[in-house]
Amino acid sequence: MSRSYDRALTVFSPDGHLFQVEYALEAVRKGTCAVGVRGKDVVVLGVEKKSVLQLQDPRTVRKVVMLDDHVCLAFAGLTADGRVLIDKARIECQSHRLTVEDPVTVEYITRHIAGIQQRYTQSGGVRPFGISTLIIGFDPHDTRPRLYQTEPSGIYSAWKANAIGRSSKTVREFLEKNHKDDLSRDEAIKLTVKSLLEVVQTGAKNIEISVMESYGKVTSLALPEIEAIVAEIEREKEAEAERKRSRLAATAAGQAAMSLRAGDAGGTSGQ
Amino acid sequence: MEVSFALTGKDYVIVAADTTAARSIVKMKTDQDKIKILSPHLLMAYSGEPGDTLQFAEYVERNIRLYQIRNLYALSPSAAASWIRRSLAESLRSRNSYAVNLLVGGFDTTTQEPHLYWIDYLGTMTEIPFGAHGYGSYFALSLLDRYHDPDASLEEGLATLKRCIDEVSKRLVVSPDRYKVKVVDKDGVREVEL
Amino acid sequence: MARRYDSRTTIFSPEGRLYQIEYAMEAISHAGTVIGVLATDGVVLAAEKKVTGKLLDLSSSKEGGYGGSGEKIFLLNANVIGGVAGLTADANSLVNYARTAAQRHLLSYNEDIPVELLAQRLCDLKQGYTQFGGLRPFGVSLLYAGYDPHYQFQLYHSDPSGNYSGWKATCIGANIGTAQSLLKQEYKDDITVKEAISLVLKTMSKTMDSPTLGSEKLEFAVLMLDPKTKQPRAKIYKPAEIDALLLAEGLMKKDEDTEMKGV
Repeated sequence: MSRSYDRALTVFSPDGHLFQVEYALEAVRKGTCAVGVRGKDVVVLGVEKKSVLQLQDPRTVRKVVMLDDHVCLAFAGLTADGRVLIDKARIECQSHRLTVEDPVTVEYITRHIAGIQQRYTQSGGVRPFGISTLIIGFDPHDTRPRLYQTEPSGIYSAWKANAIGRSSKTVREFLEKNHKDDLSRDEAIKLTVKSLLEVVQTGAKNIEISVMESYGKVTSLALPEIEAIVAEIEREKEAEAERKRSRLAATAAGQAAMSLRAGDAGGTSGQ
Repeated sequence: MEVSFALTGKDYVIVAADTTAARSIVKMKTDQDKIKILSPHLLMAYSGEPGDTLQFAEYVERNIRLYQIRNLYALSPSAAASWIRRSLAESLRSRNSYAVNLLVGGFDTTTQEPHLYWIDYLGTMTEIPFGAHGYGSYFALSLLDRYHDPDASLEEGLATLKRCIDEVSKRLVVSPDRYKVKVVDKDGVREVEL
Repeated sequence: MARRYDSRTTIFSPEGRLYQIEYAMEAISHAGTVIGVLATDGVVLAAEKKVTGKLLDLSSSKEGGYGGSGEKIFLLNANVIGGVAGLTADANSLVNYARTAAQRHLLSYNEDIPVELLAQRLCDLKQGYTQFGGLRPFGVSLLYAGYDPHYQFQLYHSDPSGNYSGWKATCIGANIGTAQSLLKQEYKDDITVKEAISLVLKTMSKTMDSPTLGSEKLEFAVLMLDPKTKQPRAKIYKPAEIDALLLAEGLMKKDEDTEMKGV
């Protein structure tokens, strides 16, 4: 009986956990990292791009996709699950336009996606989706950038900046420290790249950045642009380290001078 | 008294439709756009039963858009037209069928060729160099037989279209007074003034 | 209880893994190798057939159909050939599904299904079997070699999880490590079909660990454009044609007699 396929796979454990959902989150944590940052009137999505193998066609490796003209999504976790969920979301986007003659709002499509994810935690014989998503976009007739996250459990939430996937905790902490309200376009892009560099050691070639500046205006940065930003960040880090070193040297020198004087004093007192 | 025309030329398709929304003998308004832009290189003029036309055109529009979002490239004109025809044919055999006549014109970006398809509410489809739906076809087809040139420039094509429209104005009892004209070529879709 | 997460249908293990998929992939790594190479003017597929017994009657496959024995390489649509590795019975059902999906597309759009779309159709099905229904995943990886006007010649690979990706040259089945590194060394971006055929056969002889090959152990297919109609045309080689090809490439198994004479 316990093997019968119509039994819900996701059930409460005696201490109130939904293990399958928690394990699905583990699958997400294994996925590549994705970062979303909201600026004043821009929202940026950055993803860690796994190195494409030499003979692989990079066109077919897609981590960031458009759901509609004005909504963009990145996911972390099982790629095949991602593709299937994205397809469902794309259908809803067009279906919504057909029914009410308006494009979806970003929150609406987020809620829809989260709703699907929730259903897969409660229906018979299914496992949850092993993906978290970050959804960015602009609502029609609105200038405020939006950033949402969904999880395998079906939770969705709005964010100023957030990360999913591998090492997302580190990145989130970094964002918490460094995010300010009303970031400009360049600042938001830079913060995204900077936070991704916390997990991506290989630099620009493994980073993909999409920028949405207004309703339906999406650009993805070319490699040289990202390289320039990475170089700039490295220069700043270098300068910062240099300052730290010179400050350290100054304190060390100060301390040395102090101890020298103290030694002198000791010397005199010893006499 | 709906009228729609379409003709191909050298690397383009012109699609024109009247802009009258009428009920019985009453004109409700004269600025209705009856040509949908289905994708960057695809146009569809629709006429027929007023409620059906809009419902069906929007259904088509959303499905063609969905295909493009899913696959990152748009359907070719011939594939789109085949899908549209099939939808109409399936609708015809259902309880509630759409009474819609269509002219689907597009530019195939893979072969760099213009294509025009004539589709009626019975699910008939044929690829044509020029065509018309509605009362306009009674007057325009002979003119198009005489003046259509598959290698005509856009100016010449528009001049031929103008002849058709003028003929309809001259001969049809209740002729529409305004038309919308759209062109599709390698650069995409644009509206032109006659 | 130790096998709680890997003996049931596909559910997450505490580390977030799907063991059933991983085991399915394990099954594939014992299957006959399939190699695909994308060239500028076509795509080449070759597959290793595991001969199950000396008395197996293969004569019926010699004449009929599109050629080949219909064990590893299949015509999925006019513009796509597929190579399979894994459970043969699963593969047959997937091939059937692929052919149906391709025909459905033809019925709706009156055009050959784009290659990537066909791969997606199969992957959606495969993904479904990893998520619901309480069934095991398909134990099959596929290579799709095809042509469409959008991206011209293409080569895709899909695995039991429902993932797919495009490749210039890749392989599935047993010994893919050897084959993959060999392909990486030898592949050039401007490779022609003629060169790709030699590359595929050479790689195949290395992975099968025998200097010579024969039609009883090999399936072979090429997809090119018909010079007249400019439409894609698949050619799945018949056993005699494979032997002729191997002879031309100098990979043909020598007769015992000639070998004796050689010594």
